[in-house]
Amino acid sequence: MNLQKTTEKTGSVMVVGAGVAGIQASLDMANAGYFVHLVDNSTSVGGLMAQLDKTFPTNDCAMCVISPFLVEVGRHLNINIISNSEVESLEGQAGAFHATVRNDPRYIDIEKCTACGQCRQICPVTAINEFDCGLDLRKAIYIKYPQAVPLAYAIDRSACIGCGLCEKACLAEAISYADTPRRTVLNVGAVILSMGSSVYDPSGLDTLAYGRHPNIVTSLEFERILSASGPYKGHLMRPYDREIPEKIAWLQCVGSRDINRAGHGYCSSVCCMYAIKQTMIAKEHVSTPLDAAVFYMDMRTYGKDFDKYYTRAKDEKHVRFIRSRIHTIEPLKNGDLNIRYVLESGDVQEETFNMVVLSAGLSPPPSAIALAGRLGIDLNAYHYAQTADIRPVNTSREGIYVCGAFQGPKDIPQSVMEASAAAASATETLADVRWTQTKVRELPAEVDFSGQKPRIGVFVCNCGINIGGVADVPAIREYARSLPHVIHVEDNLFTCSQDTQEKIKQVLVEKGINRVVVASCSPRTHEPLFQETLREAGLNKYLFEMANIRDQNTWVHMASPAKATAKAKDLVRMAVAKAAYIEPLPQVMLDVTNSVLVVGGGVAGMEAALGVARQGYQAWLVERGHQLGGMARQLRSTWQGEPVAPYLSDLIDAVHRHEHIQIFMETQVVHVTGTIGNFTTTLVTQDDEGKEKSTVIPHGAAILATGGHEYAPTEYQYGAHPSVMTHLEFDVAATKQDNRLLSAKLAVFIQCVGSRSAERPYCSRVCCTHSLKSALWLKTINPDVQIFILYRDIRAYGFRESLYQKAREAGVQFIRFESENPPVVSLTPGDPSEPNSSRLSLTVTDHILQRPIILNPDLVVLASAILPNENKKLFEAFKVPANADGFLVEAHAKLRPVDFASEGLFLAGLAHYPKTIDESIAQAKAAVSRTMNIVSKTAIMVGSVIAVVNPERCAVCLTCVRTCPYGIPRIDPEKGHAVIAAVECHGCGVCASECPGKAIALKHFTDEQINAKTDALFQAA
Amino acid sequence: MSEGIIKIDKQKTSTFLDKVKEIVPDGNLNLCLTCGACSSGCPATGLENMDPRKFLRMAAMGLDDEITGHPWVWMCTMCYRCTYACPMNINIAALVFEARKLWPRETRPKGILGSCNMALRNTSGSAMGTPEEDFRFVVEDMLEEVRADQPGWEELQAPIDKQGAHFFLSQNSREPVTEPEEMAPLWKILHLVGADWTYSTTGWGGENYCMFLADDEGWKKITNTTLQTAMGLGCKVYLNTECGHSTYSVYAGQKKFKIETELEIAPMVKYYAQWIREGRLKVNSDWNKDLKIKFTVQDPCNQIRKGWGDTLADELRFVTMACVGEENFIDTYPNKSNNYCCGGGGGSLQNGYKDARFYYGRLKHAQIMETGAPYVITPCHNCHAQIHELGEHFGGGKYRSLHLWTIIALSLGILAESERTYLGPDLAEVNLPGY
Repeated sequence: MNLQKTTEKTGSVMVVGAGVAGIQASLDMANAGYFVHLVDNSTSVGGLMAQLDKTFPTNDCAMCVISPFLVEVGRHLNINIISNSEVESLEGQAGAFHATVRNDPRYIDIEKCTACGQCRQICPVTAINEFDCGLDLRKAIYIKYPQAVPLAYAIDRSACIGCGLCEKACLAEAISYADTPRRTVLNVGAVILSMGSSVYDPSGLDTLAYGRHPNIVTSLEFERILSASGPYKGHLMRPYDREIPEKIAWLQCVGSRDINRAGHGYCSSVCCMYAIKQTMIAKEHVSTPLDAAVFYMDMRTYGKDFDKYYTRAKDEKHVRFIRSRIHTIEPLKNGDLNIRYVLESGDVQEETFNMVVLSAGLSPPPSAIALAGRLGIDLNAYHYAQTADIRPVNTSREGIYVCGAFQGPKDIPQSVMEASAAAASATETLADVRWTQTKVRELPAEVDFSGQKPRIGVFVCNCGINIGGVADVPAIREYARSLPHVIHVEDNLFTCSQDTQEKIKQVLVEKGINRVVVASCSPRTHEPLFQETLREAGLNKYLFEMANIRDQNTWVHMASPAKATAKAKDLVRMAVAKAAYIEPLPQVMLDVTNSVLVVGGGVAGMEAALGVARQGYQAWLVERGHQLGGMARQLRSTWQGEPVAPYLSDLIDAVHRHEHIQIFMETQVVHVTGTIGNFTTTLVTQDDEGKEKSTVIPHGAAILATGGHEYAPTEYQYGAHPSVMTHLEFDVAATKQDNRLLSAKLAVFIQCVGSRSAERPYCSRVCCTHSLKSALWLKTINPDVQIFILYRDIRAYGFRESLYQKAREAGVQFIRFESENPPVVSLTPGDPSEPNSSRLSLTVTDHILQRPIILNPDLVVLASAILPNENKKLFEAFKVPANADGFLVEAHAKLRPVDFASEGLFLAGLAHYPKTIDESIAQAKAAVSRTMNIVSKTAIMVGSVIAVVNPERCAVCLTCVRTCPYGIPRIDPEKGHAVIAAVECHGCGVCASECPGKAIALKHFTDEQINAKTDALFQAA
Repeated sequence: MSEGIIKIDKQKTSTFLDKVKEIVPDGNLNLCLTCGACSSGCPATGLENMDPRKFLRMAAMGLDDEITGHPWVWMCTMCYRCTYACPMNINIAALVFEARKLWPRETRPKGILGSCNMALRNTSGSAMGTPEEDFRFVVEDMLEEVRADQPGWEELQAPIDKQGAHFFLSQNSREPVTEPEEMAPLWKILHLVGADWTYSTTGWGGENYCMFLADDEGWKKITNTTLQTAMGLGCKVYLNTECGHSTYSVYAGQKKFKIETELEIAPMVKYYAQWIREGRLKVNSDWNKDLKIKFTVQDPCNQIRKGWGDTLADELRFVTMACVGEENFIDTYPNKSNNYCCGGGGGSLQNGYKDARFYYGRLKHAQIMETGAPYVITPCHNCHAQIHELGEHFGGGKYRSLHLWTIIALSLGILAESERTYLGPDLAEVNLPGY
């Protein structure tokens, strides 16, 4: 599909790297009116996340969470997945780039391959399974993992011996040994780089003996060991002898925070958390007690709910956390591993472990570094894409954006957030060409079958020989013919192949079939495909039922063909029985209000409003105070040293000037009604004379950016001495060149003031970085100042570690204290006649010397906690939840970090969790991108598989209200029964199964349908 | 020494650490993360209630009074094992080296002081004070003896002050002074490969206790004398005998004191390996085929970790295996660049803290015992002596230490009876020269 190069702006975009960030960016843009080319150098999408077993801090199964995204991106009409490909060059400029993409051969025709797996069974060559980190083998013809998208095999030609067996076995004739690289030129308006990260290879660190002993594994290898789809099928065993380990050690910072052997000065941001996760999951995997010990320097659990996770591991799961970096691992003859380590007291310990996991850091993939070179974008000292804090997803080349771990080591939610932010930024200048390159599927009108009896067609798939080679497919087919309402049966070599689809369409029309049953494989992978065929033949897509006679039958009963045939008949009978009762579920089209309400006039709120406006839609910006800017008004600089004040004044100016933004100052939200696409919100504005004025705003979506504030300390003589100040006060004083700062000879920073306490069991995330930055600033204005930072863990995550290194270089001393033994600040009274003449004295115990240190500081800076702003009424009006700490709760901690569970509502900034300015900006832009999925459309389709309430049976018991994981059902006081908004319902069915009065039915899974199916199960064949 | 409260003065004064930072600007002494990797890997951790992290921490907190005169600085062998795994690549050995200077020269350990002073007495550089002409006499006397007593070696050479020789060879004083017969195997090896080499009367001493004494002037003087002599003779390669610290003192001293030279400063092992590969040194391990006597090696810190790294460690194994048979070589673990120091380095053999030295050596001892090998090949004089003593002290003589030249000569069938002092009875008569 070589295109003509154009110089005109195009509504197509290119995303390079199809990990979780690339997928999110692609979906956001494709759903907001752009055609997306998603390029990846692997045979399938999914990236690193697909290899993970579970994800922190919820311990969700990674594959279960990402799988729906894989399917969606794989089937999206406006996403063109270009796998096995590299971007060779990029010419042109922003708006009109020409990308040359080299598509490397996979020697399999994706269009023809049905992933039946016959080739794999016959392939005589084994090769290393890279997906399982080499802990397992695969065939030379392979699929990366069962849920891979595109779901097609590939031939590893470095292993393939060219025997030709697969070619003979492939009934779909998909093998193409003669495949050669192809080049394609794509016209794209913008490019997003999301090439992710590779995991540091510790082979170079001889002291850790990785590669010398099988029981020393990397953290990624351990993920595969834990994974149910991994080399040991989820049984925790050590590689050396497949024994169940009783004692495992995790070693942190392998390849991170190491400028000596590893040459990586930065923190990899994710390893502390994944190590904690692995300790807990590992303990769950074995029935015998497992001793888990984590050796670390600083425990960096700085994210939302991370500290609680850490505490749970420590206190409830009895994971041992030992603050010591391991020098050497000594393998013993029986496969065990000896570790000699020193405690902070200086005492030497020696322990033997059955297995050691190296918490390997992240590093940019060499292929990504090479691509960055070809594209001419700047990289930082660590070879990651260089970005500025105030433009966190922009690369140095206009029109090229970056997100995810290629911008810097980060976890999944931060990657997903940035992916949406990059989507918003990349499309900002393409707003006028939105919906110009997208495809729309032209579909015939749905035939109305109402009043007709069921006329069922049954299609039985041989799946090559996957089914037909085991079960007697003709017998199954003929059996189906005998079932009630069946008017057509046939069997196919591959029911899913392109030509069969065409034939099915003809048959449906010719025979007037109004219900379709396919007996083949898994609905997970194939249901959407068959539904599409139905739709193209004019049938509602819900007039479809599937019987899985492969994965759940012939694959597991390969040795018992007769039983497999009988079971297939049972499954077909059940599907036909249900099919007789299924109904069309038409979707309703709702108009959308193309504007967005933004609540909160801080950086996040203003960036959000400006983002919406720049996308060409109206933004309503509501601020309850009398000035815009929020907490940023007091901040001096970003962590990379970019000044905040000029950025903020430009932002305020831009918000004021933009024609698509209307600002409501001193205004509160008092009432919200409506659902996604159509909200109506009442605002009340206080005018100068204190009079209230109401405004009613219609909007399609809303972004809550209600901000946070600094904790007012009660500790450490705060308030009793003018030289004891908070972070923000320090910044303000610095801006004013306050003499308390300039003349200080000895300054002390105390960390975790009000954070990580019983009252606020969370880390405020920004304080370590802020203290480091402030200390360095003090050193620049007065190199002779002595500075002490008293801390619990230095949490300078990512590249912020460089500030920590610079601070130590500059002579800042770091003393660690335990929460039980905090520093003590006291006042020595001065001259009673002179105000403020009392002197400060501070005692803290040095963690290494274990002796008290007395300091007489003339400046004490308290790293006070960040608290969410109090907004109970507002949150209630929007019906959005806040957690125990008062922060807003997102829909999903991992993959929906800016969405609320209620559709159409989004969040950004400090209201979500403490974060730095760059992170707030990224989250605000992400929220903009998420709203574009709604407001860029003229209408949205709602309905289909949803729960519906039968008002007559509803006893208003509130069970549905309480059990719904999305908080959708509510009691309508006027109607006197529960109401479930069709537009919001996720169709999970929890309410339907819990409702004691059987007042709720889940469409497509009604009692009648399920009963028909189960009744059929127990009928004799 | 107070273990109590530490008071930090408001007025910053220059501390010991500040001074060291000026001397060693690339030592990263400020960068400590207090992670403990150094102390976890240091055999001297716990001695005098001290460890590398604590020592650096005390310096960082300005506890100069407590550091000054602390005996631990002599127990640390400056082996760099701490730095090897330090994520911040902090040069703790440099700090210890400078802390040794905090001791007034005359109060520093007598043994080290004496050896340094001896070496400075004349231009021989010998820590035993052996004058230039005495060395010539011993060498010539020994050479005469070999020529007379050992058939086939009538042409053996031991050139001294030979102008234009390719190799300049230094000689540790221990052999000429206490066991001259130990020099002969190396001469024979050099003879067999046809090496063009020479000793010198000036600067022949292959040791440098002034370095251990932290006497920069003395270190420089000895290094300079020996390098100038080698250059004066027109040599191309400065070859150190199997001696770790001496190799390092010349190798590092040349750089530290910026002595201009085009000489290649090389450890002996590198050339043994080269000569074997070139077929000039026809060692073979047939003698051990049936005996199956096991050997292990000690990687001298000064040559391996602080010098030529794993490349040289691999050469050491190559030479050893060529002589004893691959199947009879058992490696220690950890090894090569991450090897445990035996405890004989840093001048500790002469520092007077014998108990501490044995405590330090316990890890090396355990490692050797784990191999089960009765012989440890130690291409370093200090390692040789320390491991020999460890074997006696802990092991009841279960293992012995050997120079590489002994086992090379044995495998070549040229090791005379008189040159077998360090071999046990099992090897007393194996592969004796057939005369």
